[in-house]
Amino acid sequence: MAEKFDAIVVGAGPSGNAAAYTMAKAGLKVLQIERGEYPGSKNVQGAILYSDALEKIIPDFREDAPLERHIIEQRMWMLDDNSFVGTHFRSEDYNKPPYNRYTIIRAQFDKWFSSKVREAGALLICETTVEKLLMDGDTVVGVRCDRIGGDVFADVVVLADGVNSTLARKAGFHPDIQAKDVALAVKEILFMPEEVIQSRFNIGEESGVVIEMMGSVTEGMVGTGFLYTNKDSLTIGVGCMLSDFKSNPNRTSPYALLEKLKRHPSIAPLIEGGEMKEYAAHLIPEGGFHAIPKVYGNGWMIVGDSGGFVNAAHREGSNLAMTTGRLAAETVIAAKGAGQGFAAKQLKAYKDALDASFVMKDLKKYRDLPEVLHTSPQFFTTYPNLVTGAMQKMFTVDGIDKKTKEREVLGSFKSARRLTGLVGDAFKLWRAVR
Amino acid sequence: MSAVPAIHVNVEDKLFQNRYKVDHGRPHIQIKKPEVCANDCKDQSCTFVCPASCYKAEGNGKVTLITDGCLECGSCRVICTEHSNVAWEYPRGGHGILFKFG
Repeated sequence: MAEKFDAIVVGAGPSGNAAAYTMAKAGLKVLQIERGEYPGSKNVQGAILYSDALEKIIPDFREDAPLERHIIEQRMWMLDDNSFVGTHFRSEDYNKPPYNRYTIIRAQFDKWFSSKVREAGALLICETTVEKLLMDGDTVVGVRCDRIGGDVFADVVVLADGVNSTLARKAGFHPDIQAKDVALAVKEILFMPEEVIQSRFNIGEESGVVIEMMGSVTEGMVGTGFLYTNKDSLTIGVGCMLSDFKSNPNRTSPYALLEKLKRHPSIAPLIEGGEMKEYAAHLIPEGGFHAIPKVYGNGWMIVGDSGGFVNAAHREGSNLAMTTGRLAAETVIAAKGAGQGFAAKQLKAYKDALDASFVMKDLKKYRDLPEVLHTSPQFFTTYPNLVTGAMQKMFTVDGIDKKTKEREVLGSFKSARRLTGLVGDAFKLWRAVR
Repeated sequence: MSAVPAIHVNVEDKLFQNRYKVDHGRPHIQIKKPEVCANDCKDQSCTFVCPASCYKAEGNGKVTLITDGCLECGSCRVICTEHSNVAWEYPRGGHGILFKFG
């Protein structure tokens, strides 16, 4: 293939679609390569779509994007084996358009986003895996696909190939991801009638609820569970740091952990009768600021999960993906206009734009959190157990006076963590999120 | 903490719901040296961490791999740091897991 493109985008997830759309819309000649049968067929997410990042790319996306439910209520639960303590935040302000976020089903959403990319003029090739980057010295000049005559060339290659970042790794741009910097999440989609979801979760026809959970269900591993309401299905899943899965003395499989979550007495009634139609697993890059590799060089840029752009503290990823894709695309458009080529010197503008955006500002703010959580598993089991235990004691009426109960609750905290441990934990957490 | 009774889950029942286009005879992941798993790897953590249970401890110390149910997450490669004994590629274009919902 002698044909040369302005840009090749590898991958058709949120970051790749954002990049391809933005460049094609500006009139650039864009080739997008996707290894799945259709865009979305290899992609996994919870999934929550944050409107703002997409609005900046497709302002009227709400007119035809496949959206499940807009979220009006966020529940945070701390679980022990038999109970939970939770905070619920629900606001009617979230029930007024334009809505701030939605549940989505990624296979459908990615197909829709991809249709917009093609409408904008990009050429999409599916069922094609990119094997490696083509180099001229230290400059990326194209990609090699697993098809006959599969060499294609471009001024810039945008790597939106997902968390495993296979291409940049093979090219030696960065080493392999570390087990401590990545979470392994598994989930199931459970179908049930809309009316059942609406009555179980106390919501209307269009509105939805998100439940995030932490506690003994993860067996002391750093991780969380989640339950999201879609239109006529629920998504339930659990994710923990991969290094914790590996070193868990119980040798618990991710699917056994998910099964345990599904059988929890506070969860089981919510999902009862759901028909399971798919089981998925995915890695989530959660290493944060310190794990972000070099994201640009001569003729290449990395966007989305491939660059580790996930804000684990706030469960944000797809919005960072879309934003990094858009900023990379804007960098290419500007470089083409300037006519000075696409070397690292020109593409550095991408990193500058990232630094000036919420993407790197948020990652920087939480830069120490992954390490603090990694070394403080007590946040994920000990404290949830202490809090649920305290609640049970205070709310059980059994003739014991409240003063005695308070002393016992305080004693349980002190014996679990000691006073210095309690103060130290509070300080560590405060320092990591301030 | 109270001991939680072990939950037995048949992951094949879950994988049965998924759609795959298996690339017969061309597994995209391979164990480089089976004898390293059998002789040198103490914890064989791939046999319980893999969310599709593609890796099986065979009881005689060996580990076998069947990639048909692979969810293409990459965990096996990332955890095999001590021996780097996993040759991991994506399947050929169009093959492997095909998520209906994702």
